[in-house]
Amino acid sequence: MSKIKSITAKREFRTFLFLIVLFVVVGIVNTDFLSINNIANSLKSSLLYIVLAVGMTFVLLTGNIDISVGGVLGLSAAVSGMILRDGGSFLVAIAVAILIGAVIGLINGLGVTKLKISSFIMTLGMLEITRVVQVIYTDGQWVENLPIEFKQLSQLSFMGMNVLSIIVVVSVILVHLYLSRSRRGRYFAAIGDNEDGAVLLGIPVERYKTLSFVISSVCASLAGLIFATQIGFISTTAGVGIEMTVIAAAVLGGVSLSGGVGSVIGAGIGAIIMISINSALVYMKVPAYWNDAISGSLLIIIVVSDALIARNASKQAKKERLNTRVLQEEVRESYAK
Amino acid sequence: MVSVRNLVKLENIQKSFNQNKVLKGVSLEIAESEVISIIGGNGAGKSTLMKILTGVYKADDGTIEINSEKIHQYNPRLAHEKGIYLVPQEPLLFPNMTVEQNLTIGFNKDKSDVKEQSKNLIEELGWDIDLNRLANSLTIAEQQQLEIIKGLLREAKVLILDEPTSALTFSETKSLFTVIEKLKSSGVGIFYITHRLDEVFQISTHAVILRDGKVTLKGKIEKFTKEMLIKGLLPEGNENRYKDKFEKKLVNRENEEPILKVENISGDGFRNISFDVFKGEVVGLGGLVGAGRTEIAEAIYGINQVSSGKVYLNGDDITKLGINETIESGLSYIPEDRFLHGIFSISSIRNNITAQIIKRQGFFLKKKFEKKVTNEYVERLSILLSNQEDEIKSLSGGNQQKAVIARILSTNPQLIIMDEPTRGIDAAARSDIYSIITELKEQGYSILLISSDLEEIERISDRIFGIYRGVCNAFLGLNEINATNVMKVAFGTYEGSETYVEN
Repeated sequence: MSKIKSITAKREFRTFLFLIVLFVVVGIVNTDFLSINNIANSLKSSLLYIVLAVGMTFVLLTGNIDISVGGVLGLSAAVSGMILRDGGSFLVAIAVAILIGAVIGLINGLGVTKLKISSFIMTLGMLEITRVVQVIYTDGQWVENLPIEFKQLSQLSFMGMNVLSIIVVVSVILVHLYLSRSRRGRYFAAIGDNEDGAVLLGIPVERYKTLSFVISSVCASLAGLIFATQIGFISTTAGVGIEMTVIAAAVLGGVSLSGGVGSVIGAGIGAIIMISINSALVYMKVPAYWNDAISGSLLIIIVVSDALIARNASKQAKKERLNTRVLQEEVRESYAK
Repeated sequence: MVSVRNLVKLENIQKSFNQNKVLKGVSLEIAESEVISIIGGNGAGKSTLMKILTGVYKADDGTIEINSEKIHQYNPRLAHEKGIYLVPQEPLLFPNMTVEQNLTIGFNKDKSDVKEQSKNLIEELGWDIDLNRLANSLTIAEQQQLEIIKGLLREAKVLILDEPTSALTFSETKSLFTVIEKLKSSGVGIFYITHRLDEVFQISTHAVILRDGKVTLKGKIEKFTKEMLIKGLLPEGNENRYKDKFEKKLVNRENEEPILKVENISGDGFRNISFDVFKGEVVGLGGLVGAGRTEIAEAIYGINQVSSGKVYLNGDDITKLGINETIESGLSYIPEDRFLHGIFSISSIRNNITAQIIKRQGFFLKKKFEKKVTNEYVERLSILLSNQEDEIKSLSGGNQQKAVIARILSTNPQLIIMDEPTRGIDAAARSDIYSIITELKEQGYSILLISSDLEEIERISDRIFGIYRGVCNAFLGLNEINATNVMKVAFGTYEGSETYVEN
């Protein structure tokens, strides 16, 4: 019983273990890395990646992919940034950002489910479109001079802990409970696991796929808001290339690219790892350009080992199936009686 | 006899796909505690009928009554509500979920209730399935058990088991039969689809034979013998009903060396297979879909490895050769699925025909040469086309298959393995292909024909080896080839078959 439980938890556990090892190893080289301050900072700078990875997990679970998150992040950050700069209220800015995310997500989702465009192509196109819309909307200018009260949102603390971090961590846990414990939350993984089976059970597959894209884009918008409050200005290149980091984080956290497997907690820890590697290299005095190569190799190692395991399992299953068909000696004896 | 409640009544069900009439008015009913075996060859309409019963397909005509109540607007959800549940041949589970999650998903009930119920059911059935295991760690038998539990949790009144034993070992089959007995005595009606006649007599109360979309035999099992079932499976008036005959002659080959000699090979899906093919003859491998014939062909061709045994081509051992070397040594293979493996569908007809021979030319392609080769084969096999440059998928199925044969012939093989060469090809083109095969035979090519179309294998084979559940259990010489015997071979009841039992 307990043994089986640990197997089901294995993927997240493995990621978490990796995170610990990372901190311990770097900590041995440079003890400053283990300071509470640095750990808190790592978490803080991972926040927007965690939010993105949570959204991405929904899409990956259904067996799709969302490349457009960087564009959505940039666009909604820029639009709501301009509202704030021009004296608009926080609530309006937040609502507009979420609306932008929801609309783009809906378009992505409908393109994938109704027009049957592969999610990679659909969201890749959307990435380019949102980037251009952002440039047109901002006239190619950076959005600066955000109100100081907005920037302070990221600095709020409660009993010595960063409020934003608390909100994000609590949300991740709630989303995890939704996905793993609730009746409908399980549908996302079911769709990626066995789509035909899901259809036969009467799960509204297209609706949930569309919903996953909406969730991913809304998360990207929220990440855009976090970006605005943490950085304080929005450049035209805000969030460029971020989709690769986020997908890598999710996969590192045990979310399968072929769908059906993974949890938002794993994806969140994956995001922390991706960001911690950055600062770890600084602490180990390794030139920063090694960063991408190292996270890239990590990604390949994990994906390849996952694929090998899966391939072996399916080969084994096929073999087993073929062999049980063959007439066995025992059968013959019994028929002869 | 106490009056038993009727569960389902199907009346005059008809269904066509495109022009193809699959069900031509089938009537069937099942009452409480009945186990009705549904038997039929490949393509007889069994699965279509069951899909109509579960609401996946809509019948073109006919009525469905459940619990003596006429049903309109039928769909899978309604079928579940009415207690009709299909246990598919290949279980449709969620492999990355636990057993418990698989049972509870899609259920509008409290999860702990479902869990409690499943535990009781599993105990009652005497199975041993840990609810916390991942579904992908289950054996096929366990997956099937899980599907049955899923059906019972939905309080199924009618269970449809689609070839449930095709992936079960003997002891697993036995425990399944015990379960069927239990379900039967608790009033569940069961449709049992199978190819295995022994099982029919073991567990069913009634037998129904479906052939060509019609019920040809129906009644209590006590009234039947195996011979009668086989007869029901055969087309009526089955001798001499074809216009064109394909020439066969008996040749004494005592002093001849076979072209292909397969010696006791075993592998995944087959065991201890031996047969031989001589020059200029068509040898059929008879049997049903899933009997292991494609696996045998793939092993001979070098796609899969054999675990023991030898394959000789012209006396040379080709057992361990890869695909490329096998082709070079003179063996070719026309695969079962033309679209998936047989053609390059968006390439031109010419490129398809020359795809294998250009390898033997120099580094650069010679267009003239390709044209010449294509012209030669288009004429020889009378392939109907408007332009060699057209995509091959613009051709009809029969002409596509001819192009594949042309490609194979260009490599100048001695032996050609043809796996279901006329699948999805209309009747006229079929005859064409048969003539080509017969001509090739006369020109000295040897052909190993794999076909589930019993008529086809009967008409053009000189000799037939029967494959039943992965073992070679029967041999038909030229004089023994007739529809009845071919059918018996496929169902493993041919006299002299090792599995044959007197009833």
